Amino acid sequence: MSDKKISMGIPRIKVGNQTFYYQYEPSLLDSLEAQEIQAPYNCRSGYCGCCKVRLLEGEVTYTDEGMVDLKEDEILTCICVPETHIEIEIPDD
Amino acid sequence: MFFGQNVNVARYDKQKYPIFEKLIEKQLSFFWRPEEVDLSTDRKDFINMPEHEKHIFLSNLKYQTLLDSVQGRSPNVAFLPIVSIPELETWLETWAFSETVHSRSYTHIIRNIVNDPSVIFDEIVTNPEITKRAESVTKLYDELIHLISVQNVHGFGVHTINDQEFDCTLWNLKCKVYLTMVSVNVLEAIRFYVSFACSFAFAERAIMEGNAKIIKLIARDEALHLTGTQSILNILASGSDDAEFKKVAIACREEAIALFAEAAEQEKEWAVYLFKNGSMIGLNAQILSDYVEYITNVRLKSVGFDEIFPARQNPLPWMNAWLSSDNVQVAPQESEISSYLVGQIDSSLEDGDFDDFDF
Repeated sequence: MSDKKISMGIPRIKVGNQTFYYQYEPSLLDSLEAQEIQAPYNCRSGYCGCCKVRLLEGEVTYTDEGMVDLKEDEILTCICVPETHIEIEIPDD
Repeated sequence: MFFGQNVNVARYDKQKYPIFEKLIEKQLSFFWRPEEVDLSTDRKDFINMPEHEKHIFLSNLKYQTLLDSVQGRSPNVAFLPIVSIPELETWLETWAFSETVHSRSYTHIIRNIVNDPSVIFDEIVTNPEITKRAESVTKLYDELIHLISVQNVHGFGVHTINDQEFDCTLWNLKCKVYLTMVSVNVLEAIRFYVSFACSFAFAERAIMEGNAKIIKLIARDEALHLTGTQSILNILASGSDDAEFKKVAIACREEAIALFAEAAEQEKEWAVYLFKNGSMIGLNAQILSDYVEYITNVRLKSVGFDEIFPARQNPLPWMNAWLSSDNVQVAPQESEISSYLVGQIDSSLEDGDFDDFDF
């Protein structure tokens, strides 16, 4: 565990005007769903690319290897968990 | 990736595009057989269905059979002779093989619900609504296969054989490869998903659930295949593999978008045909057409094209649950878990893995 993580405590997730604590769900997608935030998904295994969102701030750790081309600020919510406090933006459609 | 040096030794120690190896491994770990799924209650469900729902179910199944018949052989015939990296070659073979499993599934399903399966299979080639679409899914494959055979015998250049002209210049062949790949993407990413929507709509009402379980496995494979074709298209269009393909992608852009538009129109017509005798709970021609527009937009965006339909929310949000590969299930012994990985070994080792290990 990095020093940064210890000092920050439980990661906070910010989406739009909503902020909540990460409850150590298996993936970021699961934590969004636990808060009843509509997040896109299909395969839940990192290969379809449907769950792509923009990471505006913070860092995430991947729990599995994705197979989708991502831009620098894009992450796949189904196969990552927050490492620090993060802010994400879910695409409109 | 295409038209380069011969593939020669099938070696995977040096890979230009590791994505294909990842796809192969994932596909192999997905291996399944239709016989694993129990269809005994489906027969009862089918017999109790009203006639118009039988029409929807069977027509949809016939169309799926047709699509997988094409996909089970065409990638091998069309792309293998011209592929030039072993990892892509093996991915094409792995991909086509999984389609043959899908084809066998349809026979398994049809055999289970009707007494004489050959009536259903024969109709696939006589029903004008199906053959009309068969033409457009095979047209580009056929043209490419034809040109490659001529090129194999006569070399690159424009050839006239029996008063027919064949443009086998490298440029035209590359255009055909690019467009064929787009048409494959359209087939797997749009046409298939429209048919999946119908299959899952039955299971949402708790009927034909065995069928839906098989289609769910097929959908899981198709999601992987479409990631494959999207990667190929994006690599080709980026020019990182072959600078000329970048020009090809730009030159063929309009034609490629037209392929998406044409498929969307045909799928909407198909929706009208499916529901001509009546709709079913949860699905009708209008909702399915809306889904066609939604999914076409999503797929266009994935390969870097602009959307051609007005932006909208997913009209069939329940589809997502059917399209997920179940990796979140915690107690596999409680039901069949479709993401159970066959032959999965994690052999990666980091330098620090034994740091907290004391003797």
